[in-house]
Amino acid sequence: MLSTLLSQIVNGLVLGSLIGLIALGYTMVYGIVQLINFAHGEIFMVGAYGGLAMFTYLLPTALKNHWYFALPILLIVGAAVSVLVAVAMERLAYRPLRGAPRLAPLITALGVSVALQEAVRVFYPNATAAVPFPTIFVPGTLIIPIGDGIPIKYSAILLVVVALALAYALNTFVERSRMGRAMRATAQDPDVARLMGVDPDRVIVLTFVLGGALAGVGGILYGGLYNTINIDMGFQNGIFAFTAAVLGGIGNIRGAVVGGLAIGLVKALGGQYLPGGTAYDYVWIFVVLIVVLVFRPQGFFGETERVRA
Amino acid sequence: MTTIEARAVPTAVPRRGRLDGLWSALAPRATVLRVLAGVLTIIGTYLPWATFVLNEGPYPDKATLNFFVDPLGVTGFRLHLLVIGIAMIVVALLGLPAAGRIIRGLGWGTIAVAVINGLYILVQGGGFGAVTASDGAVAFGAVVALVGGLVAVLGGTAGGLGAKPELTWRLPWWAEWLILLVVFAIVLFLVAGVLTSGGQGGVVNPYAGAVFLSVLGALGGAISALSASGLLTWVSAVSERHRIFSVVVLLVVALLLPLTSAGTEYWMTVAANIGVYAATAIGLNIVVGLAGLLDLGYVAFLGIGAFVAANLSGAAASEIGIELPFPLVMIISAVVAGIFGAIVGSPTLRVRGDYLAIVTLAFGEIFVRSAQNNIGGLTGGANAIPNIPAVSAFGQSFAAPLTIGAVKLPSGVLYYVLIVLLVAAVMLVFANLKNSRLGRAWIAIREDEDAARAMGIRTGPVKILAFMIGATLAGLAGAFFAHKTGVVAYDSFQFIQSVTLLASVILGGMGTIPGAVLGASILFVLPEKLREFADYRLLIFGLALVVIMRFRPQGLIPDAHRRAELAPDAEDETPVVDVTT
Repeated sequence: MLSTLLSQIVNGLVLGSLIGLIALGYTMVYGIVQLINFAHGEIFMVGAYGGLAMFTYLLPTALKNHWYFALPILLIVGAAVSVLVAVAMERLAYRPLRGAPRLAPLITALGVSVALQEAVRVFYPNATAAVPFPTIFVPGTLIIPIGDGIPIKYSAILLVVVALALAYALNTFVERSRMGRAMRATAQDPDVARLMGVDPDRVIVLTFVLGGALAGVGGILYGGLYNTINIDMGFQNGIFAFTAAVLGGIGNIRGAVVGGLAIGLVKALGGQYLPGGTAYDYVWIFVVLIVVLVFRPQGFFGETERVRA
Repeated sequence: MTTIEARAVPTAVPRRGRLDGLWSALAPRATVLRVLAGVLTIIGTYLPWATFVLNEGPYPDKATLNFFVDPLGVTGFRLHLLVIGIAMIVVALLGLPAAGRIIRGLGWGTIAVAVINGLYILVQGGGFGAVTASDGAVAFGAVVALVGGLVAVLGGTAGGLGAKPELTWRLPWWAEWLILLVVFAIVLFLVAGVLTSGGQGGVVNPYAGAVFLSVLGALGGAISALSASGLLTWVSAVSERHRIFSVVVLLVVALLLPLTSAGTEYWMTVAANIGVYAATAIGLNIVVGLAGLLDLGYVAFLGIGAFVAANLSGAAASEIGIELPFPLVMIISAVVAGIFGAIVGSPTLRVRGDYLAIVTLAFGEIFVRSAQNNIGGLTGGANAIPNIPAVSAFGQSFAAPLTIGAVKLPSGVLYYVLIVLLVAAVMLVFANLKNSRLGRAWIAIREDEDAARAMGIRTGPVKILAFMIGATLAGLAGAFFAHKTGVVAYDSFQFIQSVTLLASVILGGMGTIPGAVLGASILFVLPEKLREFADYRLLIFGLALVVIMRFRPQGLIPDAHRRAELAPDAEDETPVVDVTT
């Protein structure tokens, strides 16, 4: 019993770190431009497929078998593909709509999400079904000797470590660096920020770049953990990540990570202990989403809700 | 926010921009250009369009035909071009008011026809040789017609577009009734013609999509020309004067569709499916278009209605397994869906804007997941609920063909009649609500919720009512859907369907009835026609959403009132604080 509980907690925290990593992109974009970037989940998905394409078609076989060569290359390529797509999306779809009524960007984001998902399905070879993803880290499983033993894949440990490190790095960047201060200023009051010499366009692009890079890395790590990727992974994990961002207080970087971990735990423990089992674990996440939005839309760490139209 | 209808003042001022020099240089030769455009279009009509017979069989309308072979043998898209070309010359020479505007519209139609057919032949024929010259055969029809269209747009714009005339003719009532009758009869044949043009899409008929799109292009050109001439505005003003007469005639016209070329089982089924989504889209239009509350999980209400009806239909796989008369089933489905609507709508008391959209999305996903897991045994899960019996009345099954006297009607006609009546009822509800106290309250909330509350509107109940009524209409449609298709499965009610419904409301124009119907028709007919693009359907769909939001957020048939949510009219609604540019 205890080991079941503990291993589910471990599962939850692993999934939660991934969700937190994606949620960072949501929360930053919302903080700066007040847009629910619905297509952010697809950015995560595109990163995974980009990395896979690199691995399958470009990487020399000699390098494929050594994870310490393949992994950094894959992470960089995945992040690069995601960043490219995210920046193109911002430039072509969202930027022309700045200042437009609120629903327009949201519907555009829906359109981008559908289009990206379909583009991968149509143009990536065999993407109509799930695609196998290579092992990119030490294969095998670590067994923690508590109770009957709690298994953790090494690739899961990698995911947690990288996700938390990146979140910490991002937090430091936003709090310490000059550009980070510009981001915070723009989030607080775009007009005053501009008066102070901050170029909002640069800040927004930077936001999409950072969010895209994190999502791309997340996509690669996801593939490495589950050894299979599919085109739905973006939509599902995107919704989870959005929930996590709201739960943690949207616009708040630490909140996104904590929210992500909480959502991971809800999914793992809800699937184990709540009625209906794993078939209903999604439902519990959506229930959490609704309850949070209705009763505490500012989340755990958010400021009191802004006045919104 | 004012809702006074700002009649756009038509101006004869040529557009200002980078092309100023071009327009003034071309202006003196405008008439020549316009006539030339007509002549080129006609020449293009009579030139061969393909150098050889395509692999999949001759492209319709004798694409390799040469003028000398059969001068009168123009049919299909070539007939459309011929008519457009003649119209261009006539309009240019007569010097009608707004001739430039009309010719520009016709020019766009020509371009559309030339591009669609030319591209199709080019792609299927495997290269530019197919539409230019290859193996000694020449086929410059597409190219010449395209040039003709471009010249028409140039010539039309260069001579000054001219103000769109406002026609104020008043005729005796009987004459106006007669005109309306004729117009609606033409509309009937146009609808039937467009619907059946190219035939049923699929492997057997590879040209369905191209022919259909070409007809749409030609029709689009004709409509924009008519609209430029002021005739459309006049006709709609006339029908506004005889409102009740128009509504009755339109209903009769819709019921007559089975007697036209569209009167086969296949088209009746297509039309019934369009009807289901049109009724649902009108319901959604209440929530999104009137009350301004974005709902991303709306198809769940259609699903709830369908599952309720399936369970009360006596289908063997249903959990409840009792059989109730169909009208009662419809009412129960509608009521149950309405109750769920109120539940989904209740967060509106506390949540606004895009957060609300996400809440509705979450409800929609909960519905799909629950239905997928066969919750309570009510939804059949992955097995669906099959074998739902057809509706029958007076011993006549709705799924069977019908014979009245000497007239034999295809099967599905009764369903078609039923859905037409249903959609008409839904429209009636929508139109009356829109002009009621409640409707005005919704619009006030959409424009500015805080101001509405300050004016004494109890915003909470009013918003929940919007969800409830919208869901009720979707539930009605769902009951019909269950019996018509005979199978209800959870995967008909997924997120993408909600997005499609939302897209049809937006594409058609938010807050208007014809908009929702037009949008639903386009989005559900196109996939039927373009089977060969089935793989790219959603990709095109996603891109189309982005493009619509960018260039025409108010939709094809915009609401006369200002919309705060989606349509920034550059002239009179500049954002107060433009944050980023």
